Amino acid sequence: MVIRVSFPSMGWSKIAFKGLYRPIPGVEVVDPPVVTRDIVELGAKYSPEFVCLPFKVTLGEFINMIENYNCNVFIMSIDCGPCRLGFYAPIQERILKDLGYDVTIIPIQQDDLLDFQWLEPFYKITKVKGKLMRMVDIVKGIRFAFLKGSFIEDITRYEGIIRCREINKGDTTKTVEKLLKILDKEWDFQKLHQFHKVVKREFKKIPINRDIEPLRIMIAGENHIVLEPYINMDIVKKFGDEGIEVHQGNSLYGWVMHKLHVNFKRKTLERIAKPYIPMDIGGEAIWVIGHYIKCQKEGFDGFIHAYPFTCMPEVSARGIIEGQQPDPFYLPIQFYSFDEHTGYEGMRTRLEAFVDLMKLNRKNNPKFQDNYIEPPEIREIFDIPEKYEGINTFFTGIVEPFLNTLKILPKLKVNKRQHEK
Amino acid sequence: MTDQIAIVSNIEEKSLIKKNEKRKEKTLDVFMGIDIGSVSLKIVLLDKNNSIIEKLWLRNQGSPIESSKKGIRELKEKLESSGMFNKINIKGVGTTGSARYLIKSVIGGDIAKTEIIAHAVASLTYYPDVKTILEIGGQDSKIIILRNGVVADFAMNSVCAAGTGSFLDHQASRLGIPIEKFGEYALRADSDISIAGRCGVFAESDMIHKAQMGYSKEEIVKGLCDALVRNYLNNVGKGKEIKPPIVFQGGVSYNEGLVKAFEEALGAEILVPEENILMGAIGAAILVREESERTEKISENWKTKFRGFNVLNLEFETKAFRCQGCPNRCEVVSVYMKTGEEDENGKEKKEIVARWGDRCGKWAVY
Repeated sequence: MVIRVSFPSMGWSKIAFKGLYRPIPGVEVVDPPVVTRDIVELGAKYSPEFVCLPFKVTLGEFINMIENYNCNVFIMSIDCGPCRLGFYAPIQERILKDLGYDVTIIPIQQDDLLDFQWLEPFYKITKVKGKLMRMVDIVKGIRFAFLKGSFIEDITRYEGIIRCREINKGDTTKTVEKLLKILDKEWDFQKLHQFHKVVKREFKKIPINRDIEPLRIMIAGENHIVLEPYINMDIVKKFGDEGIEVHQGNSLYGWVMHKLHVNFKRKTLERIAKPYIPMDIGGEAIWVIGHYIKCQKEGFDGFIHAYPFTCMPEVSARGIIEGQQPDPFYLPIQFYSFDEHTGYEGMRTRLEAFVDLMKLNRKNNPKFQDNYIEPPEIREIFDIPEKYEGINTFFTGIVEPFLNTLKILPKLKVNKRQHEK
Repeated sequence: MTDQIAIVSNIEEKSLIKKNEKRKEKTLDVFMGIDIGSVSLKIVLLDKNNSIIEKLWLRNQGSPIESSKKGIRELKEKLESSGMFNKINIKGVGTTGSARYLIKSVIGGDIAKTEIIAHAVASLTYYPDVKTILEIGGQDSKIIILRNGVVADFAMNSVCAAGTGSFLDHQASRLGIPIEKFGEYALRADSDISIAGRCGVFAESDMIHKAQMGYSKEEIVKGLCDALVRNYLNNVGKGKEIKPPIVFQGGVSYNEGLVKAFEEALGAEILVPEENILMGAIGAAILVREESERTEKISENWKTKFRGFNVLNLEFETKAFRCQGCPNRCEVVSVYMKTGEEDENGKEKKEIVARWGDRCGKWAVY
């Protein structure tokens, strides 16, 4: 029997997962299809009623991939934490067994990546044993996953910042789709190490208006909800089309780096949020609160907290944020809780009203005026010319990957206007 | 000869201009606000000083297109009977409410704004120092927090419909009380009974239970009002700082029992504006006036997209199809307007007014 391995897609993160398992001998990796309404309905049909939305979506994806793509092994991340994510894999496996499918779900222990329990799935998914199962292949997979994950993060970050400035509507969306397609098919390490140049070159082609000072918002919340565009109704694009600069607080790469204890951005956020929430209660609660306080200090215009309906950690975060607001002008915040519904009307009303609220704030409230900082990414893409033309093996193979890891460090931001004064 | 003609035409032109000027002096610039919600349609005509020229309220029947046409027809009749029809010049149309985009494209509106902003703007014109707005309508309830005359925060009921107008309407008909007298009944009650307000279903079974225990209708109605206020404050007003002055608007604010229950729960006076159900429409009219003033300042070139009262003669047609572009199979709805002209093949020409329903934005026409 051929082993066909697959995993939940979680937006574009599937590109990184695919890179992780492709080099393993003896397995065939199946690309999970894009999440659609049918998949969500399928998952909701067989799920417990009040379970969180990611459970339903991933279960729907599994059933769809068994039926249509003939998969028999799934990889699902679990977290030995206080939230329900820890029980996803065993319960889903049981539901699938009850439905009569003979499949295995292999959990990845992502609680602390430095204890290397997450290496076990590599040995479990393949029947190749002993010397044929080489460490080299695993390292190769990990390299693919890290490189691709970091570029997905770059692309989605640039997307949110550039869409509000584009002159021809739709350019950014096309560029992002094109880049992700190229990234998905790229299996050459030398070219992958150079890929950030491709990304910047493609984004540089978009004609933009650099004089505007758009409203800035941060979207943060539960990882799966924020990263999966079908589930969150493409909230990044919707806000971008309204002319708002969107910063995203979540990314797969950042999460993995955090679990390797080298994401210093998240460490800062934890320190900021410490007085309000002293420990990690699962989900993204602690970082959402950290982001919220940080955005307020950096002069953002609004904050969006997206989470699945009935998610315990995120609801706790919401309660803490609502309870601690000294006055409503602290930083306007909207809470979006998502379930399997597809109606967009109620969300649109709140989205438009929120945009109007932020515009009025800019006009009338001195707290929100004159604190716009142009994100450093714009300068990186449009001003700085490309360095190091041509391929230097030593540089691209060793020095640049090392420099790339520095991306996880917080960046120094300069307020352009204050500088001029 | 030619000179003479030129002179004559010149004179004619001048007289025409004078006539136009005269007509302009006589006509009054008005702004129309339309609030189309789930239950009813509200139309308001405002002049430059925010005084109401004409107002209209009617229950939604059939599709929003039909009821908006009916509304425009009734407005025309009202204007004709008061003799104002030839004296006004509609300078802008603003729409609000849940069907705002559809009505905007059908009637030819200039702006479509959300109910939240419209209600806030309308309240601010009547009560400039308002700090909290409670709004309960047919299908939804909202709370708007204002500070220093700016919207600071808002919330809508996202999950539950208990406490909205439709639920009260249903319960009133079940108890055999006309909805207009609901408030009176609540005020007449002597004692308090508690009814679960967390959910509409629980509330209903609790009411039946209390009725079977022998409580009077008045007491049950009062208990229901208290329960709805509790539900609203816990669900919609959760975590918000409710400071006076408080304005209560929307259709449910006609209910005196509920107003009193709110006053008891919040410990402050509740202001109910005279035009409590029209506030959304008034806000839309004010917003379109501000928009026209802003554009006139910049470019002195403001022209309304309003199709005029001949919108009654136009026919609209909606068609739905499933897009086959991706596995989502979105239902795309398009609204066509029959222009009355014919193309080369003798078929009737149709103009697309609006098209939406797709997730990716491929088909969208607004």
